[in-house]
Amino acid sequence: MSIDIPEIEQFLYQEASLLDRVNLDAWVDLYTDDGTYWMPVVPGQDDPINHISLIYDDRTIMEIRRRNYNHPRAASKELPIRSSHIIGNVQVLSTQTLEEGEDSITVSSNFHCVVYAADEQTLYAGTYTHVLVRVESRFKIRSKRVDIINCDAPLGAILSYI
Amino acid sequence: MNIMQATIMDKELAALVQESKAHKSVYTDQRVFELEMERIWGKSWIYIGHESQVPETGDYISLEFANMPVLMVRDQTDSVQVLHNRCGHKGAKLVGKPCGNNGRFVCPYHGWTYKLDGQLVGVPHMAGYEGTKFDKAAPEYSMQKIRTERHRGFVFATLNKEAVDLKTWLGSAAITIDNLCDRAPEGEVEVAGGTLKFSHDCNWKLFTENLNDTMHPMVVHRSVVDAANQYISTLPEDSQNRTEAEIIPPFGASYEKFEASGIVGFPYGHHFDGGKTSIHADYSVDPDYKAAMLKAYGEQRTDEILGYNSHNTLYYPSVTFKSAIQNIRIVRPIAANKTIIETISFRLKGAPDSMLQRTLLYSRLINSNGSMVGADDLAVYLRVQQGLRSSGSDWIEFHRNYGSDIDLGDRLSNVGTSDLDMRTQFRAWKHYMVGAPL
Repeated sequence: MSIDIPEIEQFLYQEASLLDRVNLDAWVDLYTDDGTYWMPVVPGQDDPINHISLIYDDRTIMEIRRRNYNHPRAASKELPIRSSHIIGNVQVLSTQTLEEGEDSITVSSNFHCVVYAADEQTLYAGTYTHVLVRVESRFKIRSKRVDIINCDAPLGAILSYI
Repeated sequence: MNIMQATIMDKELAALVQESKAHKSVYTDQRVFELEMERIWGKSWIYIGHESQVPETGDYISLEFANMPVLMVRDQTDSVQVLHNRCGHKGAKLVGKPCGNNGRFVCPYHGWTYKLDGQLVGVPHMAGYEGTKFDKAAPEYSMQKIRTERHRGFVFATLNKEAVDLKTWLGSAAITIDNLCDRAPEGEVEVAGGTLKFSHDCNWKLFTENLNDTMHPMVVHRSVVDAANQYISTLPEDSQNRTEAEIIPPFGASYEKFEASGIVGFPYGHHFDGGKTSIHADYSVDPDYKAAMLKAYGEQRTDEILGYNSHNTLYYPSVTFKSAIQNIRIVRPIAANKTIIETISFRLKGAPDSMLQRTLLYSRLINSNGSMVGADDLAVYLRVQQGLRSSGSDWIEFHRNYGSDIDLGDRLSNVGTSDLDMRTQFRAWKHYMVGAPL
């Protein structure tokens, strides 16, 4: 499998841009049907099922979250939520050719994400781990793990995908 | 003596809370908060933890108790102690880690050393104390013990030597703790699956008063209930995605359904919504779990145990239990406008793993920092905290169904949509703060 780092970087930037532009419909569409978004609550957490997490969404919850996001009656989202992502240190950790002939690439990157909501600005920083699969020449996300460096601190409400 | 003690006279404090209204300063005034810490959190039984968190000798957890650092530790005699996390020398916090195991507590500052039960056993370079009045064996230099009692493994502590015993204090409200344990085929639970810590920039009472406020879900949670229902309507009848999505819609239950659930209030501020039914009553029962329960208890007792459905049971002021879900939330007040809520989940001993997984799914979807439900609850608490800055009125009200609370001897009862929960809490508030009758 040939690895094209700039292509992977471009994909990560585009994904983050969809979050910054709050286009959750297009963002959810980047995920495979069995795709997951995971934000652990302890560093190095290895289990999203038998241990609590800040967020562990499958497509079901992503579908609810994107419908909730623009609902006019959501008090926590009455004021617009804005974010800005910076991604760097992109590294390919491993690659795998799956049985169906799909390629799977595990990519690690560092991020800073500033979220502005309800008069307050919050900085989230940490590491993403994406498992990307190539479906018909496009990348899809099979899993996105978001390790924020202060995941075990008493945080406020996390109002958007980071 | 607390230097804050004289800042508000008892007569003024008493006037802040009336039978169906409260003055805004009980949510906003830092002086009232300090007095609450001393008189409510310092006199009531406060939730500490569960003994499964310290299974071995030397195991400890450190935590905040009434805004002070304390430790729960299993000492050398296998007894679970709650100790002030403070060195007897210069007052340094002895233990910094949230949990761990050790044989002695050693102060990081001057190396004073304590046994697991808090007794001071080592002071470096003792020669300097010879001929002084310092006595290493004097209890005042040891880590101070806090009065502690347990109910079915749940550890509570109080700074009040005069407090009634834990059993009397829990009274009939103990039913929810008992039900949580009884839901385990082996009759015991253990802490499992980690902790969520959720910072709330609001007064602690705005959280506890929302627990059984059944007039808010259909308003506050409408956005997520609509979103869940819209999505569910796109799914085929047999879709596996339904189970997960269906945790959310009960939060949009009708006024009539909440009214029928009923609220009961007990002395000392405890209360719960439901009993026979609650918004958790319609969640499906795992067949393997049901089989384990039937084997352990037989059919009649199993039906009794699983038929008890309360929504939130607050043991005023520090902890709320959901026995049907097997999680609790611990209230840690920091300041008049800052509170941390911790969510802890429990494994039912003898139950299949799927039960803990369901508990964690619930905690994640409803109670976590990333929850769509919890975020909107917090947003409205913040609105109250902001709105109370207004001089438009000095009062918040809780009149709903006032005057019709039914006295059942050990408890008061009213419809589920009543403000009985608010009245119950403020009656306890006034008891602890100024000695009003319970």
